[in-house]
Amino acid sequence: MESKKTSSKIGVYICECGPNIADNIDIDTIIARLPSLEEYQNKELVVKRYKLLCSNEGKEFLENEIRENEFTHLVVAACSPRDHDTTFINVCKKTQLNPYLYKMVNIREQCAWIIPDKEKATEKAIRYIRAATSRVLKQSELIEKQLDIDPGVLVIGGGISGIETALSLAGKERKVYLVEKSSELGGKMNMFKELLPRQNGNRDIIEKKIEEVKKNESITIFLETELESAVGFLGNFEISLKNIKNNQPGAEFTVGAIVAATGFRLTDTGKLAQYKYSKESEVYTSLEIENMIKRDGKIVLKSGKEPESVGLIHCVGREEKGYCSQICCNYMLKFISFLQQQSDSIKIKDFYRDMCLPHKEDQGFFEEVKNKGADFIRISDVKIKGTHVEYTPIGKDKKEVDVDMVILAPAMEPEKGTEELAELFNVPLSETNFFQEEHQQLNPVETSIEGIFIVGACHGPAGISESMLQAQAASGKISTRLIPGKKIVPEVKVSEIMEDFCMGCRTCMDICSYGAITFDGELSVCVVNEAICRGCGNCAGSCPSGAIRAKHFTSAQIYQEIIEAIR
Amino acid sequence: MKKSYTKGAKISNSKGSRKTILNFLKGLLKKGSLDAVLIPMRVPAGDSYAWVLIKDKKLLDDANPIAPIMPVQGANALSSCTKKGKGNLKIAALMRPCEIRAAIELSKLNQVNLESVTLISYDCPGALPMSDYLQDPGEGEKVFDSLLKKRDRDVESVKPVCGICDNFSILPASDLHFGLSADSRDNILLIPNSKKGTGLLNKMDIKPSEDISSWAKNIEELKKVQEKKRKERFEYVKDMVEGFDSLVKTFSACVGCHNCESVCPVCYCRQCYFESETAKPDIESILLKTKNRGSISLPADRIMFHVGRMVHMSLSCVSCGLCTDACPVSIPVAELFSYVGDRTQQTFEYRSGEEKGEPIPMKTYRKEETKGINELVKGAEG
Amino acid sequence: MNSKDKILVIGAGIAGMEASLLLANAGRSVLLVEKLSLTGGNTIKNEDSFPNLECSTCMIAPIQQDILQNPNIEVMTLSTVKKVEGEAGNFNVTIDKKARYVSLVDCIGCGMCYEPCPVTLKNEWEENLSEKKAIYVPCEGSLPNVPAIDPEHCLQLNGKKSCNACVEACMFGAIDLSEKDEEVQVDVGAVIVATGFDMFDAGKISNLGYGKFPGVYTSMEFERLFASNGPTSGELVLRGGGESPRSIAIIHCVGRKELGYCSGVCCMDSFKYSHFLKNKLPDAKVYNIYSDICLPNKTYQIFYNKIKGEGGGFIFQSSPEDIEIKESSGKLGVNLTDRNGAAESLDVDMVILACAIVPGKESENLAESLGIELDGKGFFLTRKEDVGTVETSKAGIFVVGCAEGPKDIQNSVIQAEAAVGKAILIGEINGK
Repeated sequence: MESKKTSSKIGVYICECGPNIADNIDIDTIIARLPSLEEYQNKELVVKRYKLLCSNEGKEFLENEIRENEFTHLVVAACSPRDHDTTFINVCKKTQLNPYLYKMVNIREQCAWIIPDKEKATEKAIRYIRAATSRVLKQSELIEKQLDIDPGVLVIGGGISGIETALSLAGKERKVYLVEKSSELGGKMNMFKELLPRQNGNRDIIEKKIEEVKKNESITIFLETELESAVGFLGNFEISLKNIKNNQPGAEFTVGAIVAATGFRLTDTGKLAQYKYSKESEVYTSLEIENMIKRDGKIVLKSGKEPESVGLIHCVGREEKGYCSQICCNYMLKFISFLQQQSDSIKIKDFYRDMCLPHKEDQGFFEEVKNKGADFIRISDVKIKGTHVEYTPIGKDKKEVDVDMVILAPAMEPEKGTEELAELFNVPLSETNFFQEEHQQLNPVETSIEGIFIVGACHGPAGISESMLQAQAASGKISTRLIPGKKIVPEVKVSEIMEDFCMGCRTCMDICSYGAITFDGELSVCVVNEAICRGCGNCAGSCPSGAIRAKHFTSAQIYQEIIEAIR
Repeated sequence: MKKSYTKGAKISNSKGSRKTILNFLKGLLKKGSLDAVLIPMRVPAGDSYAWVLIKDKKLLDDANPIAPIMPVQGANALSSCTKKGKGNLKIAALMRPCEIRAAIELSKLNQVNLESVTLISYDCPGALPMSDYLQDPGEGEKVFDSLLKKRDRDVESVKPVCGICDNFSILPASDLHFGLSADSRDNILLIPNSKKGTGLLNKMDIKPSEDISSWAKNIEELKKVQEKKRKERFEYVKDMVEGFDSLVKTFSACVGCHNCESVCPVCYCRQCYFESETAKPDIESILLKTKNRGSISLPADRIMFHVGRMVHMSLSCVSCGLCTDACPVSIPVAELFSYVGDRTQQTFEYRSGEEKGEPIPMKTYRKEETKGINELVKGAEG
Repeated sequence: MNSKDKILVIGAGIAGMEASLLLANAGRSVLLVEKLSLTGGNTIKNEDSFPNLECSTCMIAPIQQDILQNPNIEVMTLSTVKKVEGEAGNFNVTIDKKARYVSLVDCIGCGMCYEPCPVTLKNEWEENLSEKKAIYVPCEGSLPNVPAIDPEHCLQLNGKKSCNACVEACMFGAIDLSEKDEEVQVDVGAVIVATGFDMFDAGKISNLGYGKFPGVYTSMEFERLFASNGPTSGELVLRGGGESPRSIAIIHCVGRKELGYCSGVCCMDSFKYSHFLKNKLPDAKVYNIYSDICLPNKTYQIFYNKIKGEGGGFIFQSSPEDIEIKESSGKLGVNLTDRNGAAESLDVDMVILACAIVPGKESENLAESLGIELDGKGFFLTRKEDVGTVETSKAGIFVVGCAEGPKDIQNSVIQAEAAVGKAILIGEINGK
């Protein structure tokens, strides 16, 4: 589908950029030479210069020129497209000219500024302009489409992250569907009573929030339910749920975005030889201690007696997992502080490798606990046999000690089912098996599939504060993309598959990071979903049959440009 | 890591290797362990061979499991019946190692479905050039029969690319393998090489209890000899493809029939780009080239077709030699592709058709691949 | 658009820019106020950012460009917020807008004005490792790519001498020395504070020899020294000149004890330096002298393991206070106590001090203008009643990024996105 217009009228506008281009490129020569070149012989061509096209006057001038000359194609020879491509696209948009029939050439950075010889610089500029005009003639009009969106959001996981997301987003014009696999909301937070001092002792935070969720008319809660399928794209996902208890199909509805807040579990300490213990021994994982505090209000031995000495072991499974769980040092300090309040004479031995306290308030807490007499021992190795701890202080010889109780801080890992969910969404997991961000730094709560978000501990080890902030962040992103009543404009420079060439080998499906390609079994061909495709062009490069074309970057267009440039 | 299989079953070769293989396959059909066998059969009305899918075990008597020639690549035959899905039939395909490799390549591209297919390979003596065979099929059969009985590999009478083949025996992808080059010609080794293969032997109550190391050693030695031949031959082939002038010379006789492309098992496109309208230049670009070069041969881009095919397919080339058989003007296409394929495959540390499921280089990206890019960039800058 | 729909973002670093862009793309009008003449904050000072070693400039230049071209965003550089009155939905903001003397519209960034300027100054933005003229851009690739004039040092502007050199050199008539500082009044509905951070003054720990020995660098100095758009174009030339360093000690946690918190990013920065050095100077010895290794992200330990694999020593030392750096005959001696308590000395050519993140200098004034609180350490305080929030004690004012406390880029962006959500959704939920 190259340009269908038979009579083309091309405008070539050369910006002087003050003296920047004018001084080192002979623009008059270009204006004189271009019309005489063979490829323009049977075409209408207008070549003009202007002192500064990006200035307000320049833009107005260009706009009028496009209108008056009724150009079918436009080339602007000026500075770097990085600086002003958008400027001239916006000028085109004001006129009848489709902006995809315009092309910008950089004759400043790539010619005027780097070639001292004016004649050579001019020659190169002519080549560039010829390459651009011959390419622009091969370009096709692309029309931006507007799609209706559903502002609703599906939240998977009823823990603190899911609840916070739901509460942040639910409103008169935005429905939120909160799906939880267990029979109650709250997730791991239901096990907690004691929070960190920097969390302001907000003990009933989860209870309050669950109340709020239940009261909110815009939130629909599905308990003992899981996601069966999610098909679609940002603004338009078709959702089917499944009732876990009776394994029956559940509700079906449409949402605009999905937030996964499926949380974590602790790594199985039973699989780590150095931490094996029997159920009868006085060895506890951190979550068991949290639960104990919530249930009994204190930390006690199986006999009901308070322990007189406690050994705490950090980083359980960290090396095996390959990452630091970030919050364990903090909650271990919390347990120590709790034990210190419980008994003045408590003997604490804390076995740690590195104290990871990345929050501004944490170190103060550490010092407070330490000053109260807890013994912090930096170790290189530790092993337990029940409550008998063998440890090697860093750089020293092996030692051993018996304590009444051992508390382990096992590494956090993604909750069971995370992998399956990733597969269902077609989003990648990171090396550490948590969900992977679209961009670790710049788009940290979204996945490679636009409209699917990840918050809380399924994103990576996170505490309550971090989880809540991530939930708010995902809500923030969703609020800017799915504005009730507004439409979205998907990318138009997408890939298309030519059925006649496609052999259905599905190489493109493996390559596509956005899940934009599906396989049509009946025709044995692959199909691009234009609403999901972002136009990266990887599929076009990978297709062994050359059946895929990246719109606006077709082989014919690129080939034409190269041929002209090296003519 | 694939489990390594080190045992095999010794079966008598008194009736000749072809008969022995057929009897084994008949047994499997009889027991119902297989529903059909894909196997070559001499065309009743002519002098060539065709692939047939046989369900009736009696018809197997007419099949020739080790055909002297390869008019159609087995992978193509397999693709034609499994591309749209595995179906309900349990099939065994008895193929040359290069055909199996092609089938593996095609399975990676979803053109062959191997789920219900058992791949059976054998120590391949090579195949005869089609033209030689067709001149005197009777003589051809005789020559090939003698090859089958030889312990060493013959270079003279087989296709040139078979003469330098160093991958002619068991493959990681074989489910079962007939070791024909056993120490004594009295026996054939039947080697299970996957769970599927072991399963079939169990059904036939054949216990793979023989140590296969002496057979394997023999194969290794033969391979070494072949590798040497291959290397020597490539020294010569190299000069035929390296550099534009060599290419022009090598392909000067090309008549542009595209037979090489149509018989190539891994050239699987629905329509070849080089035959599409897109590839045909418009008059303006022809005139432009004429202007720049002074003259231009027409139709244009004849060399481009071969270079294009090398770019597209050399990573998957299995050196089966069908292209040479199909070339009406005797260009040694297969050796050229084999040479280029070796080079490109080495670059990506890839061997076409070697492992099931190993992604084709097009699908994967390894960090090491960018090694040297910095130097290249620096070189370009400096 | 209603003025109360407009949102003021203070600080054009990564957090402020992300917030502005998201708001603008949602159709909100944004005023982005930045005290310096360029956008990008501290992130653009890095050559690469951890853990993926993605080129920082490449990573955020498109964002900077978007910010400058987005019709919904007004960027006000060389500006600071003076006063904020009113309440959520209706703030009246007074902004001190310093004259740039160069028109953002007319200047095309050709740079012809630098050479004629007779005044040479230390370039603070480059950690004083290079010089600039009185008309300057802080570094190559600054965005907006338009210079500013330092009125204190420009001979014409400070009245020392009549000079018109830059004006004459400019072919676009873009320079106007008569431009005056302005006080701008704006009405906005919400405020996002994203003023970032400063670095701990390494000179405060005298035994580390910073300022005394030229071979001792702060982390930010090293970032610039290593940056390809920096003062040495990325060449590792030591302050005293001479050869590239053959042995380098990176000292972690500089300032942690004094300040009472861990900055959470310096370990990763140090490993990044380690990697840079090993890559550029494969034979060099690189020592990491640390007290606790802090890797608070699922991917950071992978990076750490990779660095460990690259060689170089990891030496545990309880605190930088116990380290003494001396110089003798051109070599730096790093005296420390090893993990067994024995004294140890390393001879190195270069020392890099991984300095802590501290609150921005203007935080106190800004907090006062905004009527919000700082914590005991000088960072902005979020609402005490909440657990994880970007809201401050004053409704409608949010704080994000390192202004709230030390953090990496990921967490800064998360907070920025959270603040955007709050600003937009408050209206939506109330059914506006």
